[in-house]
Amino acid sequence: MGTLPTPDSGLSSEEVEHVARLARLGLTADEVTRYRDQLRSILAYIDQLNRADTSKILATAHPLDERTVMRDDVPQPCLPVEAVLRNAPSTEDGYFKVKAIQE
Amino acid sequence: MTQFWRPIHELHQMLVDREISAVELTDAILAQVDAVDEKTRAYLLVTRDLAHRQARAADERLRAKRDLRPLTGIPMAIKDVLCIDGVAATAGSRILEGFVPPYSATVVERLAADGAVFLGKTNCDEFAMGSSNENSGYWPVHNPWQLDRVPGGSSGGSAAAVAAGEAVAALGSDTGGSIRQPAALTGIVGVKPTYGRVSRYGLIAFASSLDQVGPMTLDVRDAATVLQAIAGHDPRDSTSSPRPVPDYFEHLAEGVKGLRLGVPKEYFVDGMEPEVEAAIRAAIRLYERQGAHIEEVSLPNSRYALPAYYIIAPAEASSNLARYDGIRYGRQAGRGRNLIEEYQATRQDGFGNEVKRRIMLGTYALSSGYYDAYYLKAQKVRTLVVEDFARAFKKVDVLISATSPTVAFPLGAKTQDPLAMYLNDVLTLPGNLGNVCGISIPCGLANGLPIGLQVIAPGFREDLMLRVAYAFEAATEFHRRRAPLVSVGA
Repeated sequence: MGTLPTPDSGLSSEEVEHVARLARLGLTADEVTRYRDQLRSILAYIDQLNRADTSKILATAHPLDERTVMRDDVPQPCLPVEAVLRNAPSTEDGYFKVKAIQE
Repeated sequence: MTQFWRPIHELHQMLVDREISAVELTDAILAQVDAVDEKTRAYLLVTRDLAHRQARAADERLRAKRDLRPLTGIPMAIKDVLCIDGVAATAGSRILEGFVPPYSATVVERLAADGAVFLGKTNCDEFAMGSSNENSGYWPVHNPWQLDRVPGGSSGGSAAAVAAGEAVAALGSDTGGSIRQPAALTGIVGVKPTYGRVSRYGLIAFASSLDQVGPMTLDVRDAATVLQAIAGHDPRDSTSSPRPVPDYFEHLAEGVKGLRLGVPKEYFVDGMEPEVEAAIRAAIRLYERQGAHIEEVSLPNSRYALPAYYIIAPAEASSNLARYDGIRYGRQAGRGRNLIEEYQATRQDGFGNEVKRRIMLGTYALSSGYYDAYYLKAQKVRTLVVEDFARAFKKVDVLISATSPTVAFPLGAKTQDPLAMYLNDVLTLPGNLGNVCGISIPCGLANGLPIGLQVIAPGFREDLMLRVAYAFEAATEFHRRRAPLVSVGA
């Protein structure tokens, strides 16, 4: 192998905060530290994958032989709007209601 | 209670002979729930009214001898990751509190059409992430064999319910061992079917290339019965296989004489308890006496399965769990000043520790600069695991091993160490990556705690898997042992 960058197990708090932002996950300062330390040890464990020679191996993204299954485009009944909106915390005029996208 | 503490096939005969009505049977099992669930905490929700409606309908079918199926009138529990139309579903997470799905999972529809009775939704690790049920967002489940022990996970509620007589059978889901490992730890039978054998429509997704729904039952025949009912193509799940489903009873009792049983040498792992190893060796000797050819085989890439799994499953989970944003369902934090803050606050409040950890791990593994080093690398290693199984199955018909290296451990023993917890699944998760099918059956007790024997068969050979498991069961009494809690409650 040798061509892959060495996965970085010296994960920083800033990287943890960046990943949390990507995941839209609010974390407290304590959680940032805790997840940084836990992810470091999990990633250090996962680094042993680099010992497996996969230079000539194709990736398995999915277990099935079947690929790109097609079917006829037949209209089917769908859920009524009320049933779909019933679980939403906030709705208006038959729509989901969200907070401002920009301040 | 004890008179109804029986497998499906016996209760079916009693129902058909009108020795007992479906309503009486349902009431008897609900009485057991009332007596012992405060100890096991197996259920998140008991659906008494639904159960009674279904039991009355089953009794009409039984009286008229119309559309009788093996599951007609049989009280079952459903893991809370499967949707039942009009019944609250949480997936063990606070973020889904209050969610009432407007449709049913295909497996649920199939059981309902056969006349099964739904007793309720069973507890599980949050979004099925865990091996002890301690990651439930509600409360932990206790092992009926010893209440200070975990039942395994993530289908720990389903396992405990069946093991404590709180359901005749249950559905679970298995992404890395979540049916087989709790089945082993509670002394019942659990099946992870081949990916594609059972529809995932209406299953709340964890890792979409690994998840499968399967039966958790008192014995192998019951597992065959439930699998027969739920297996098969579903037009609503394009990853469900169009292959025909064989009759799982046709060759069930044909035994193992002449079959080649492989014993993967890597599956006697470091840290395996000596009692577990002894029980597996004894099972191997029993198969040998029955005329099977035993052969040691090697799955050399097994050591990479766990690290590969802990990239692939969290990566898929981080993507699947992006949908929990507090907009369309579930609870909303309400304190964000704008949409992004609202997402962050909702997910901060709603997700538990393990789910957050895996979202972080998965998002990191998929993020720019790390994708090739982690996710692509793990998918390539997955190919090595697939090839290991393919090579082994050229030499042998099935593989046998322990299901879990240990018996049930005390609650709290591993909650501070995520890696130690992940190691519980070291013998089951290669099967999810390699897309074979696997079953766990009871094969002994160590200090009063059950030990599970795993039989792994090639993809779509559930028939062979069940046949080999049944040969062991038919020659032993382990599946008749009941958790001591049951006699206390009965």
